[in-house]
Amino acid sequence: MLHWILWGTDMMERISRNTRIFFEGAFYSYKALFRWLNPATYLASKVLAPLTIMIFFVFIGAYASGSNNASFYVIGNSLIFAASSGIFGVTMSVGGERWTGTLPYLFGCPANRGAMFIGRAFMHILDGMLGVFIGLGWGILLFKLDLSQANPLALLLTILVTTFSTSGLGLLMGCLSLITRNVMLVNNTVYFALLIFSGANIPVEELPAWMQVIANGLPLTRGVACARTIIAGGSLTEIMPLLKEELLIGIILTILGYFLFKVFEIQAKKLGTLDIF
Amino acid sequence: MDAIIVRNLRRVYKSSDGIIKRKVKEVVAVEDVSFEIHQGELFGLLGPNGAGKTTTVKMLTTLLIPSGGSATILDLDVVKDAGKVRPRIGFIFGGERGLYWRLSALDNLRYFASLYYVDTQVARKRIPELIELVGLQGREREKVEGYSRGMRQRLHIARALLHDPQVLFLDEPTMGLDPVGARELRTTVKNLQSANKTILLTTHYMFEADALCQRIAVINKGRIVALDTPERLKENVQDLSVVEVEVYGMPPDQIEKIKTLEWVVEVSLENRDQVQVLQVHTPKGAEAIPMLVENLNGLRLGRIITREPTLEDAYVRLVGGAK
Repeated sequence: MLHWILWGTDMMERISRNTRIFFEGAFYSYKALFRWLNPATYLASKVLAPLTIMIFFVFIGAYASGSNNASFYVIGNSLIFAASSGIFGVTMSVGGERWTGTLPYLFGCPANRGAMFIGRAFMHILDGMLGVFIGLGWGILLFKLDLSQANPLALLLTILVTTFSTSGLGLLMGCLSLITRNVMLVNNTVYFALLIFSGANIPVEELPAWMQVIANGLPLTRGVACARTIIAGGSLTEIMPLLKEELLIGIILTILGYFLFKVFEIQAKKLGTLDIF
Repeated sequence: MDAIIVRNLRRVYKSSDGIIKRKVKEVVAVEDVSFEIHQGELFGLLGPNGAGKTTTVKMLTTLLIPSGGSATILDLDVVKDAGKVRPRIGFIFGGERGLYWRLSALDNLRYFASLYYVDTQVARKRIPELIELVGLQGREREKVEGYSRGMRQRLHIARALLHDPQVLFLDEPTMGLDPVGARELRTTVKNLQSANKTILLTTHYMFEADALCQRIAVINKGRIVALDTPERLKENVQDLSVVEVEVYGMPPDQIEKIKTLEWVVEVSLENRDQVQVLQVHTPKGAEAIPMLVENLNGLRLGRIITREPTLEDAYVRLVGGAK
């Protein structure tokens, strides 16, 4: 009995310490690595850049498809903004440590790698969700996006799950920062692949069969589909199977990212690549 | 009791070159290094750039996996028990990197306190104490990007002490500091040793090792070439005198010629502003001056002196390789 009490107390203490690392790490790493984002820069990257991207894809899409279905592109590209935070932000929250020269100090500390690693995605999930809201806001203002039919809770849940799943992809790619300094090259390729494959700008069913296979294996694809259904007045029950799959993809990517992080940590210590930059 | 035991430590780096036919090149950075550091001792690892000092420290701080040999810290293996070693050690590497420049000193320390599982209450008390110890009080709320190199280096020391480690690794902590900053940092290091910390200090400044360390291991080309107290190391060159000659534009072949002279034990050439200083280790003392001047025929010479050998001369003899 005493053994179990001691075990329980120890476990509670561990959870409490690692929760602290998760949240403090999330906060300080975001503050440390993204503080260059002063209000003006942040405004430009979060508000103005999405506007230009949105206008570009809405007009190109309308021109290419010959239809005036602006909401299709507005919803798709709003969720792409979540992917942008998830992929670039999360990758840089790991990769940025190489530039600051703090990787050896992080790997020399006893902190739980899971709490330290996954916590880094937390602020970028919030940031990514904000990006989606801004995108939808531009859609309402400029392209008469109608959200009156949407179940707000279901939409919020869709945005949260989609941002989480794309952050999982970001964590997976962030691991590459441990063994290479050219991670941005991979990032850009994956980001542009999502533009093509996720259904944000081209309906998945219109893609060739082999591309549909890839699209269905990626995060974001189901999230985009769910958001369109919800905004068109669909119910939470209707999208739940797709949303669960999106969540599952996010969980798989995060777990895979964590294990790869552990493997690459050992690899970096074998190769001596922790402090090259 | 020994806090650190290093046995036959070896590290090989592999690099590859070429696109189609990749050539793998192996560089031995550390070869067969063995030493022990007693509990509470301030031990110096002295060597020129590229000698293997930092590689050795990285292996001891669990940041690099050795290619061979073993090392234990407080009876814990640095590879097998890496997770148990980390809370017991603190380390800093020379240079300005390794801190979050956009955070204040306080935020840097708060973040690392959580990464080292320092209790929030303890951290709240310890952080101001450490800030005072390293002399950053009054500037702790400023972003690190506005700090001088010396302040950043002192902040590194505070970071390394956050979890009150028993063993400290200081890799060239005074590198690039101005004389005042370096002196202040040496005083901090000395105070740490008084607090019974076991310290491994690497440096290529002889006077620093002489002033601080109880024992010194001289490392060159990845191997330990001498290990003793500073006094005993100096004794190795007590039979010699050093003749220093200021010369202008000395050609390399002339240095080689001087090295071959029978009464010359070791030769080194140092650039000091506009002038070069030729240092010749010889058992002949002042008698060597006319012979040396004769061999420097044709060169413009400045001041010539003879002096007693220092630890630096012992070091030059060790890493230069006695003739």
